[in-house]
Amino acid sequence: MSSRAASSDAELIVAVLESDDRAAFGELVRRHQSKVRTVLRRLTRGDAALADDLAQETFVLAWRNLRHFRFEARFSTWIYRIAFNAWQSEARKRREVLLDLDDAPSAEAFEEMPDIAARMDLERALATLSDGERAAIGACYYADLSHEEAAQALGMPLGTVKTHVLRAKAKLKALLAPKEE
Amino acid sequence: MSDYDDSDRIDRWLREDARRTLADDGFSARVLAALPVPRPRPQAWLKPLLVIGSAALGSALAVLLAPGGLSVAQGFIDLATLRGMTPAAVTGIALSVTLLASALVLALEAD
Repeated sequence: MSSRAASSDAELIVAVLESDDRAAFGELVRRHQSKVRTVLRRLTRGDAALADDLAQETFVLAWRNLRHFRFEARFSTWIYRIAFNAWQSEARKRREVLLDLDDAPSAEAFEEMPDIAARMDLERALATLSDGERAAIGACYYADLSHEEAAQALGMPLGTVKTHVLRAKAKLKALLAPKEE
Repeated sequence: MSDYDDSDRIDRWLREDARRTLADDGFSARVLAALPVPRPRPQAWLKPLLVIGSAALGSALAVLLAPGGLSVAQGFIDLATLRGMTPAAVTGIALSVTLLASALVLALEAD
């Protein structure tokens, strides 16, 4: 077990590919489960049960498609791409609007919230962001990806990722302003 | 993460929130239990056995069905002494070709 813990992600992936090593894959899951589940919780607006279902689906899909993994990218970038796709797929089922730029909450929605915003914690503030903004924040902060990696994982242009992050932070700042004092 | 300015308060809150780790709480075990059941891999010896078995059967049939009372050894002697395409020589050639084809199949499989 300790040798597994000392192995790099790439070594574990090779072990899985060469000998269907489930223990090696288990180590990969243990390493990445926290961030994947956290990102998905943010994306699903705090729905922990749905997030965990999607996280499980993400890792099972990763197992099935591991032979397509290209070693020039980080495993984390690849797994977040799967996670984001799983979330998008689920969101489509729920007829939610996805990563388009025009999916931000309306100005009216924000105008209705000043009283709520005063007591809103970060998690709830994140839940008010558009899907694209939440995805960009999730990738760049919670998944700890660079802008470039986030763009790759989300399948978005780099400029769009940066725009989403800037807009999200501006909204969070406005929503959380009362808490700053 | 150098893309971001650490002095920004929102940045800091997001980073602190992101640093919180979720306990596994059996999640990894549930994932492993949900993985598809491994399909039994074909035994490594099965394919060579089939190829060689088929070749051997083909060779035996060639010897048995060849015109009367031939010995494979006689066929090779005929070939070596350039006695022409006697029935025994044809049988020897057929056997050689069969074995060569089997060897090629196995060699390509090994690659």
